[in-house]
Amino acid sequence: MGNRFHGATTMAATALAIGLTVGSAAAQCELKLGVIGVMSGPAAQWGLALRGAAELVAAEANAAGGLPVGSQKCKVSTVSIDSKYTAEGAAAAANNMVSQGIKLIIGPIGSPEMTGLKPIANRNNLLVMGNGYAKDAIGPQWPLVFHQGPGPSGWAAPIVEVAKAKFNMKKVVLIAPNDQGGTDIASVDAAAYKKHGIEAIEEYYQRGTTNFAPIITRALNAKPDAVDTASSPPGDAGIIIKQLRQAGFAGPIGRLGGPGTEEIARVAGGYEVLKNFYWYEPVYIDDKVRAIAESYKKLMNANPPENNLFFQWVSATRMVTKAVTKAGTVDDVKKIADALRSLPVEDENMGKGLWIGKEFFGINQELSFPFGIGLILDGKMQPVLRHEAATGK
Amino acid sequence: MEGFVNTALIGVSLGAQYALLALGFTLIFGILGVVNFAHGGFYVLGGYVAYACVQHLGVPYPIAVMVAALATAGLGYVFEYFLLEHLIDNHLATLMLTLGFYLVMATGILVVFGPESPEFRFPISGTLRSGGIYIPLENFVVLSVCLLTIVGVYLLMYFTDFGRALRALADDRPVAMAQGLRPGILFPAAFGLATGLAGLTGALVTPILSLAPHIGDSVLAISFITVILGGLGSIGGATAAAFIVGMVEAFSSVYLGGSKGALTLFTLVLVILVVRPSGLFGREVRGA
Amino acid sequence: MWRRARSISNVVGLGEILSVVVLALAFVIPVASDSPFTHSVANQTLIAITATFSVYIMLRMDLLTFAVPAFMGLGGYAVALAGLRGGVTDAVALTVLSFAVPALVALPLGALILRLRGVYFVLVTFVLTEILLLVIFETPGLTGGSNGLVGMPPIDLFGLSIADNRQVLAFAAGITVLAAIITAALTRYYRQHFASIEENEVLAQSLGLVVWRYKVIGFVVAAGLSGMAGFLLVNMLLTAHPTSFSPISSVNYIAYAIVGGRSSILGPIIGSTLLVWAANIFSIQGEYSQGLFGLLIMICVTLAKGGIVGTAILLWERYGPAWPWGAARASGLAADGARVRP
Repeated sequence: MGNRFHGATTMAATALAIGLTVGSAAAQCELKLGVIGVMSGPAAQWGLALRGAAELVAAEANAAGGLPVGSQKCKVSTVSIDSKYTAEGAAAAANNMVSQGIKLIIGPIGSPEMTGLKPIANRNNLLVMGNGYAKDAIGPQWPLVFHQGPGPSGWAAPIVEVAKAKFNMKKVVLIAPNDQGGTDIASVDAAAYKKHGIEAIEEYYQRGTTNFAPIITRALNAKPDAVDTASSPPGDAGIIIKQLRQAGFAGPIGRLGGPGTEEIARVAGGYEVLKNFYWYEPVYIDDKVRAIAESYKKLMNANPPENNLFFQWVSATRMVTKAVTKAGTVDDVKKIADALRSLPVEDENMGKGLWIGKEFFGINQELSFPFGIGLILDGKMQPVLRHEAATGK
Repeated sequence: MEGFVNTALIGVSLGAQYALLALGFTLIFGILGVVNFAHGGFYVLGGYVAYACVQHLGVPYPIAVMVAALATAGLGYVFEYFLLEHLIDNHLATLMLTLGFYLVMATGILVVFGPESPEFRFPISGTLRSGGIYIPLENFVVLSVCLLTIVGVYLLMYFTDFGRALRALADDRPVAMAQGLRPGILFPAAFGLATGLAGLTGALVTPILSLAPHIGDSVLAISFITVILGGLGSIGGATAAAFIVGMVEAFSSVYLGGSKGALTLFTLVLVILVVRPSGLFGREVRGA
Repeated sequence: MWRRARSISNVVGLGEILSVVVLALAFVIPVASDSPFTHSVANQTLIAITATFSVYIMLRMDLLTFAVPAFMGLGGYAVALAGLRGGVTDAVALTVLSFAVPALVALPLGALILRLRGVYFVLVTFVLTEILLLVIFETPGLTGGSNGLVGMPPIDLFGLSIADNRQVLAFAAGITVLAAIITAALTRYYRQHFASIEENEVLAQSLGLVVWRYKVIGFVVAAGLSGMAGFLLVNMLLTAHPTSFSPISSVNYIAYAIVGGRSSILGPIIGSTLLVWAANIFSIQGEYSQGLFGLLIMICVTLAKGGIVGTAILLWERYGPAWPWGAARASGLAADGARVRP
C-alpha cells in the first residue's frame, strides 16, 4: 500500500502541476504565489478576502503585461489552499506548496495556522506574508516570516484614547470567544484600556454560541460604562449588540478587533441599534482605496470580498511582488526577503507606512500602514478618522 | 433578584429554542434509529430559504417561514427516499451519509449566499420592561410557536393513524412490518416531517439571532445532548430536557462565565448519564 | 452476512499480517520520495491510521467512540509537557508516556461509562472531548490555554536526533506499525470475547463472560493508541495546539473507520489513506473542499455499504477467482467473528 499510495500522490501532484502550468507557455517566466488561508467553515470570509486580494494583484500585474523581473516580464499566478483554521491544515498546505515549487506564501490568517506553518517555512525556505495576532506571530527565529499588518499591540491604545475622549468611560467589559482567536486579542485590548486608566474585565464565551443573552447578563452585572466585542466574529458581535440593547444597555460599544461593521449592523438591526460605536478599521478607506474595489470589479468581473481586510492583503501582496521585481529573481527567496526588508513601505492606494515590530516581536518585519478609527455617534455613521501608521512603540 | 428572574427568563427562551431543535432530532432518532448529523444543515437551510423569500421575492415573513418548512421537508423526504432508505438498517452508514450530506449542504449555502451574514430581521421587535426585568417580544413568538408545535407533533403522533404507524415502527419494526406497515413509505414522510421542523426552527430563530452558513455546527451538539438527556424518542422527555439544558446554560453562564458555564453543563451531562444510563426520562436502549 | 462458523478461527488473521506488512512499506516513502507533499500526506495518513485503530477496537465491541481527540490530546500534551518542562527527548520514553497517560485516565473512566450502551455511550464520549478542550482553555498555566504549547525540542531515538521530515516520517511509520501490532494482538487474543460482546452482550453476560473486564481492556488500549497518535501529531508540528484536538475532528476518525470498513483491521488503513489523501487534494478547491469531502463520504457509504474492505471481500467471494490455497480464505481478512455487513 505504501508504494501504491506514494505513486498515486505523485501522479496527482504531477497532474496538478501540469494543470496549473498550462496556459503559461506564452509568458517567458512565471511567478507563483501560494495563498494559504481558511476558506471553509465559520472563518471562511477571512480566507476568501485574502484569496481575492492575491488574485487581484496577480491580475493587475498580468494586465500590465506581466511583472517586471530583471529583463523579463513574468506572468503572475496564484495557487490557493484551504488551511481550515488549524495548525495541521496550514502545515499540510505549506508542504503542498513546497512540492509545487512555490516559494512565496501569502497568508495564513489565524494564529493556529501561523503556528503550524512557521516550522515548515523555516525548513523549506519559504517567504511568508501572514497575519495572526498571537504574541509570537513573527520573531527573530523566523527570519522569512513577515506580518501583513500590526496586531492590537499597534492600534488598540490610540483607539482607546479616541474613545475615552468621546465617551469618558471608567469601566469596560470585553466579550470574545474562548479560543486563540479571542484571547490573544482581548487580553492585549484590555491592557490598552488599563493603560488609559480604564478598568477592563474580560469575558470569554464558548465558540459556537448562538444566543448571548446569558453572557450579556453576566457582563452587565459588572455595571460597565462600555462593552467591547473585541475579535468576536461579526455575526456574533451583531447578536451581542442586539441583545445588549434589549437588555437595556445604552452605553457605547467598541470593537477593538477588526472590520465587519456593515455585517454587524445588518445582524444587530442597523446603525441606530449600534448607536454609539467605535472600532478598528485596518485600512483608512478613502476614494483611493475604494479604487481597489473598482479595479477588482473590472479585472475579476465579480464583486470584491466584503471583508475590509481585503485591502490590507492587497497592499501586503503588492509589497511581495515589488520585492520580487527589486530582487530581480522569482526563486531566490533570501534575495527577495532582503529586497522586501529594504523596500520603503508604500502603496499607490494606501499611502506611506512603516516597517515596525522590533519592540513587540524583536524583529522589524511588520507592515504598518495608516489605519482608521471608525465611529458611529447617535446612530449616525461618522467619517472614519485617519490615524498615522502605528509605530509599535 | 432581578438578575435571577432575568436569568430564568433567558433559560426559558433558550429552552424553547432547544426544544424546537430537539423535536425533529428525536423524531428521526426515535422512529428511524438514525443520528441525523445533517439536522443543523436543515436548520440553516430553513433560515436561508426564508431569507431568500423575504429579500428576493418580497414574500411576507410568515409565509416565508412556511415555505422554508415545506422546502426543508421536501428536501428531507427526497434525501431519505433516494439515499438514506437504502442504508436504513446500518446505523454507522446512516451516520456517515447524513454527515456527508451536512458538509455538502453547508458548502452549497456558503457558495450560493456567501460567508457573511445577510440582513434578515424579525418583523416584530421591542422589549417588555418592568423595573430591571425585560423580555424581548420575539421570545414570546418563539415560545408560542414552540408550544404549538410540540402540541401539534404530540397530537400527530398519538391521535392519527400516521402517528400510530410511526410509533409502531419505532417500537418493533419487524412486528409492525408483518402487520402491513410499510417503512418505505412512512420513513421518508417521518424524515421529511422532522427536517421540516428543523427548517421551521431555522426560519423562526435565525432572524432573531443571526444567519450564517456555519451556524448549524452548534445546533447538532445541543440537539444531541437534549435528546439523549431526555431519553430517546420521547417527545415529553426531550421537551423537559430542553428546558433543563436552557436553565443550566443560563445560570451557569451568568454566574460562572462562558467557558466555565459550558464546562458545568457538559460535566453535568456526564454525571447524569453515569447515574442514569438511559437519560432522565428514558426507558429503552437503541444501538447506534 | 458473514457467519462466524465459516471463518477460520485458528488461522492467524490474514488481514492482520497484511496490515503490518503494508504499514511497514511506509518506511519506503521517506527514502523513495523527495516530495514534501507526499511526506506530509503520508505523515497525516499514518497519524490517522493510528488514531483510527482505536475506533476500530471500540467497534469490535459495538461501541462508537467520539473520544479519540480527547485521548489524542492527553497523549500529545503529556509528551509536549515532558519535552518542554521536563526536557525529556527520548523517543521510547515519550512513546510509553503517550500511551500510558490516556490509558491511565481511561481506566477509571471506563469503569464508569462502559455501562452505557449505544447512542448514550456515543454522547458521553463526545462530551468528554468537549470537556478536555474546555479544561485546556481553563488551565493556561499548565497547557498554554488557547495558545497551546509551542517550541518543543526535537526527540531522539537511541541517540539519533529525529529532526528532519524524513526521520519524522520514518518514526511515524514505526509507531504506526507498533500500533497495528498492538491492535492485531488485542483483537486476535480476545477475538471471541469481543465477538460475543458485539453479537449479544446480554447473552454473553448470562453465559458467564465478565463483559465489563474485556470492555475496559479494549477501552484502555484504544485510549493508549489514540495517545500515540496524539504524540505523532505533536511531533509532526512540534506544537500541541487545542485546534488539533477539536471535538468535531472525532468525526473524521469515525469516517476513516467506517468508509474503510469496520470488519477488518485493513479497513482503518484503507479508509484513512483514501480520505486523508482526498482531503489534501480537495483543499486546493478552497470553499468547495468540505463539500467535496462530504460528497466522497456519501458516495463511499452508498456504494460500499460494508466499507471498502467489507465490500471487496464480498465481491471477491462472489465473483473473484478462488484463492490459490483454497476457497473461503478471504474470510481471514475479516476480523474473526466480525460480520461483514451487507
